[in-house]
Amino acid sequence: MHTLTLDGRPVSMPEGSTILEAARRLGIAIPTLCHRDGLPPGTSCMVCVVEIDQSNRLVPACAYPVRTGLVVRTDTPSVRDARRAAVELLMGEHAGDCEGLCRRGCPAGMNIPLMIRQLAAGRTAEALETVRRDIALPAVLGHICPAPCEKVCRRARLDQPVSICLLKRFSADHGPAAPVRVAPDSGRRVAIVGAGPAGLAAAFYLGLLGHACVVFDDQPEPGGALRRDVPIDRLPRAVLDREIEVIRGLGVSFRSGIRIGRDLTLADLRGAHDAVILTVGAADAAQAAALGLPASPQGLQADSHTFATPVPGLFAAGGAVHPLKMAIRACAEGKACAEACDMYLKRGQPAAVPRRFNSVVSKLTDTELRDARSQVSEGARVDPAAGVPGGFTAAEAVAEAKRCLRCDCRKSEACGLRAAVETLGADARRYVEQERQPVEVLRHSNGLLFEPGKCIKCGVCIRLARQHPEVPGLDFAKRGFQMRVSPPVGETMATALGGVAAAVVAACPTGALAWDEGEEKPGLAPDENRGAAG
Amino acid sequence: MREIDAIVGAVGREPGDLIAILQAIQQRYHYLPDAALRRIPEITTILPSVVLGVATFYPTFRLQPSGRHRVCVCHGTACHVKGSEQVQQAVERHLKIETGRDTDASGAYTVERVACVGCCTLAPVVVIDSSVYGRVTAPGTAAMFRDFEARGADAGLDDVVDAARDWLPGVPEIRIGVGSCCIAGGSLKLRESMVAALRARRIQANIRAVGCVGMCHQTPMVEVVWPGADGDTRSRPSALTGGRMSAGAGARAAVFSCVQPGDAERIVRQAFPPRGLLVRAGSAVRVTLDRMLEGPGGGAAPSRLDVREEPVCSFLGKQIRIATESCGQLDPLDIDAYARAGGFEALHAALGDLGPGETLDRIQASGLRGRGGAGFPTAVKWAATRGAAGDLKYIVCNGDEGDPGAFMNRMILESYPYRVLEGMAIAAWCIGAREGILYVRAEYPLAVLRMREAVARMEASGLLGGGLSGGRGLLRVRVQEGAGAFVCGEETALIASLEGRRGMPRLRPPYPATQGLWGRPTSVNNVETLALVPWIIRHGPEAFARLGTAHSKGTKVFALTGKVRRGGLIEVPMGITLREIVEEIGGGVAEGRTFKAVQIGGPSGGCLPASLCHLPVDYAALSGAGAIMGSGGMVVMDDRDCMVDVARYFLRFTQDQSCGQCTFCRVGTRRMLDILNRLCAGQGQPDDLEKLEALAAKVKSGSLCGLGQTAPNPVLTTLRYFREEYEAHIRGRCPAGKCAALIRYVVTEKCIGCTICAQQCPADAIAPVPYRRHEIDAQACTRCDVCRQACPVDAIEVREAACTR
Repeated sequence: MHTLTLDGRPVSMPEGSTILEAARRLGIAIPTLCHRDGLPPGTSCMVCVVEIDQSNRLVPACAYPVRTGLVVRTDTPSVRDARRAAVELLMGEHAGDCEGLCRRGCPAGMNIPLMIRQLAAGRTAEALETVRRDIALPAVLGHICPAPCEKVCRRARLDQPVSICLLKRFSADHGPAAPVRVAPDSGRRVAIVGAGPAGLAAAFYLGLLGHACVVFDDQPEPGGALRRDVPIDRLPRAVLDREIEVIRGLGVSFRSGIRIGRDLTLADLRGAHDAVILTVGAADAAQAAALGLPASPQGLQADSHTFATPVPGLFAAGGAVHPLKMAIRACAEGKACAEACDMYLKRGQPAAVPRRFNSVVSKLTDTELRDARSQVSEGARVDPAAGVPGGFTAAEAVAEAKRCLRCDCRKSEACGLRAAVETLGADARRYVEQERQPVEVLRHSNGLLFEPGKCIKCGVCIRLARQHPEVPGLDFAKRGFQMRVSPPVGETMATALGGVAAAVVAACPTGALAWDEGEEKPGLAPDENRGAAG
Repeated sequence: MREIDAIVGAVGREPGDLIAILQAIQQRYHYLPDAALRRIPEITTILPSVVLGVATFYPTFRLQPSGRHRVCVCHGTACHVKGSEQVQQAVERHLKIETGRDTDASGAYTVERVACVGCCTLAPVVVIDSSVYGRVTAPGTAAMFRDFEARGADAGLDDVVDAARDWLPGVPEIRIGVGSCCIAGGSLKLRESMVAALRARRIQANIRAVGCVGMCHQTPMVEVVWPGADGDTRSRPSALTGGRMSAGAGARAAVFSCVQPGDAERIVRQAFPPRGLLVRAGSAVRVTLDRMLEGPGGGAAPSRLDVREEPVCSFLGKQIRIATESCGQLDPLDIDAYARAGGFEALHAALGDLGPGETLDRIQASGLRGRGGAGFPTAVKWAATRGAAGDLKYIVCNGDEGDPGAFMNRMILESYPYRVLEGMAIAAWCIGAREGILYVRAEYPLAVLRMREAVARMEASGLLGGGLSGGRGLLRVRVQEGAGAFVCGEETALIASLEGRRGMPRLRPPYPATQGLWGRPTSVNNVETLALVPWIIRHGPEAFARLGTAHSKGTKVFALTGKVRRGGLIEVPMGITLREIVEEIGGGVAEGRTFKAVQIGGPSGGCLPASLCHLPVDYAALSGAGAIMGSGGMVVMDDRDCMVDVARYFLRFTQDQSCGQCTFCRVGTRRMLDILNRLCAGQGQPDDLEKLEALAAKVKSGSLCGLGQTAPNPVLTTLRYFREEYEAHIRGRCPAGKCAALIRYVVTEKCIGCTICAQQCPADAIAPVPYRRHEIDAQACTRCDVCRQACPVDAIEVREAACTR
């Protein structure tokens, strides 16, 4: 046994243990990307460095053997600097997008590529589930959304963008009427003032989370601006009614024709509910005064992340806070506000769901774009035979969905590198040079993807495959900056990995090795899906 | 396929044989065909995944077919500062090689950039197949290829192992250098013509091939030694290195330098005049002086050197020969000559009375530290291996001298193979190893050849071979060729390479002393370290410890190259100052130039400014200044050398040689290089220096192995001592006039209108206007330097270009 000291705490470890193991025994977290239990150390990513002895020598904890008297510091400024620098350097050679451009362009951040893949595979119900994770009114927005996502679609540079909005409408029209997963009743009550898109969205997500919601509105019927301002030929009211019914199905009740400040006071609402959300649409100073609330030049005053007003338990979102042009944005704010409100209900403090770091690859070259297209349906954009108001048939939807270039990283949730950028506070662009690695996707017939640009050369795949002599396995080819993972001569990544592929994909800390169909399990919390880092 | 099977059958089928198998296949096909790579795992125990990994790791191996001849343009440090980049361009232009390709259209030549062929004193160097061309110029490229094509088949290296033929007593001895530099200069041909000239005049003399004298700037050299009273010339030291000609009465010697094969006749005439004349000349050393000491070799008449003449004295006077003892006197492979000069005495003493413990004590008392670079105490290293558990232990001699600008190990291996093996056998005895591996760069074919032969001859003499002698086990040594990866100089990477894997270093601890080759205790020692061992045992540790400084004992061999007048291989006592080396031994920089800096320690070392040249050669003093002792590369630079360019040069090297395992080295060095490239292109950003410095510090502290930890040194030292030059680059200026994007060429009024520049210009940037001053079109000019080199009246100058930014 060796007795060493970690961050001032003694620990005894058997001969042959590493600093990383000793740290774990003490519950000290050391991040790593290239280490996997059961595999020999990679000493590659250097994210696990610690400081030893009196020197300021940095060593990788994953491999450094323990010895009696060893003094280890895991959390000094130089350790933090080095870890951050390691991740920044890895990002400096990283060529890949975490999320598709469409998703980044979507105000609601909807996982569009996943929806499209599910539609392409004929899994319409799952597609709608995906849409509903971020958009409470899929059918409504399927009719009226100006589709900023399509403006940024990479396919637009080759021919026309993927018809995302119509695909979304197809999922809404053909998917199950009600969402599948509803949390049990929380016993908490929330009043929502204003039944426009923001209010409806807030009600939808709070309802899903098990909170009992009442939506107050001064109009005879819920819908707000959607019902009042959108021409009927753009949005048939039956579509709107159906989606309101879905929300009602979650236990949300609507109290129409009630104006707060006239029929009920805000104090009444606050007294009868655990939280109140104001989604009253454009609000001027007079309205704010009527509610007894401070105002900003744009509208009601609320925190831009948590939507909390200065009054505890009172939230404001959507057009009430600042002028909004798009219903999708109101919808997105409704959801975000619901999440912050949920945090308030559970922990007493409103908190925003943190925005995730997004790796963004610089503009693709024409060659890269053409390569991407050659791997998917090269056909022109599908126009629905029934015209835009009629929407896609099932066959049309599949055909159109197959045009998607699939720019998104299939492991954007599980990626350890992305998580490491976030947890270590790395500046991912610090070491980015103009000339980047090529964006290259090697797609194999078994659905295995290899994207060398996302590879951090940690060698987990190589080491793991080597434990399985039944497959040819992988190795690095070349060296230094040119180094990349490669199958033996005459093999592909798929044949070289054979039956070990699934394990290797799961072990790969980034999206370098992934399944084309993705692997995220919908509905899992991000940390359940996330890899080893952090 | 049958051929592949035969090759594998001959080499071996174990994982450790992979590199040798690939080398044999490449030898046969000049590249590694896919089919061969697929076949190897089928008929060996080697994993399929490993084959491609190894084949693509080592720079030696090619995966594309190559031309019939291989043209290696050396980009060692000395070659770089002397214009190898321009030579590279000229070669590619001459062969009309298209961008992105390396082979000419006819498939005759494949051009490769190589890191260093270790012929630094001949810089810039081009090697075509096995013919070495030194002092190549861009305008002279065509002539070089003409010469190669006229030469036909090569003599080959086999000739140089053929040692001492019949020896005649009482006649003069003619010593011809057969180190690589000398051979590159034509010493093998010279030997032939010398034999013919002697025969024609019926003069009896022994011709003896000797190792490197170190005066590489004078190669090829011929020394004539007349017998003294005892009639034996063989044990007579070289006039050059044995010192002051105090040998017995009647002893005479004459040394000729820069000798061409065609000079044999003249030398014989001069050295062996008709009898009457000789008497009149007197008996003392009487040598005509020739003041062409620093003159280039090509074409000039051979110079006769006087060993008492000032430049020669300066070059030799401060040197002390331990690793290079008996320099210029020993036929490298003559085992008897080595024994006569005291060889094997130390081994016999160690195996006899001393025993391993006492031997180790002596090494300890001598204060010997590893000469590979880091300077770890040798005795501590040996003791650790000696004390490690296990019966099977290994001794490894690290001859993977990959630093550009260094050729100390090459010279020692070529000239003193027995000394290295003796040191290795002593080390093995101390640590209890019975197996030894001598790892030598494949780029040193002559060293490989001589070491193999020396091992065989020592085995035949019962000094090696794995059997028993006097009840004691003898060390069994095998020679393994490296495959050109600089990182394999790192001991754990070297071991990976010996095991047939990619040369990726691993974290230490565990150190090889406890877990080395095949997991067994292993001691990895540098060539020079081992070459010092016999002397220490023979002369006692005190004699060694008397030399040098408090913590740096003995001598150090340096390869002195670059912009110094007398380049060569020198062995100096520790503690000597850099200025003594550069100014006195090296004779300073050329007339009219200013000594600016000296680069020590190669890619891991640093550039020290002339103002710091009072520093002694001492581990602590050099590392305190930001450099390292290193393995012994010492490149002198003058005011025409751009320090940003030099930093970039080294970083490009380490970046290229990085194994790629750890993030800091793989990406960090690359990003540092990106910044340096920007600076040299005149596109630096104001915050680039801070960025560069910060990143360098991170790479230094965060890298896994010595390569990455020291890679920033050339950058950090130049930033520290020449920061104003970096700042000038940010402003778009290169004060030294080196960075192509920041300079322009102009024709001065000295122009005589001869049109040679216009004829030679490959870019047609100069219009020929006979008898009038020419002009260079700055737009068309590619800064290839051809015109400047071609101009007979030095009318073309390099000026700073106004930055286009």
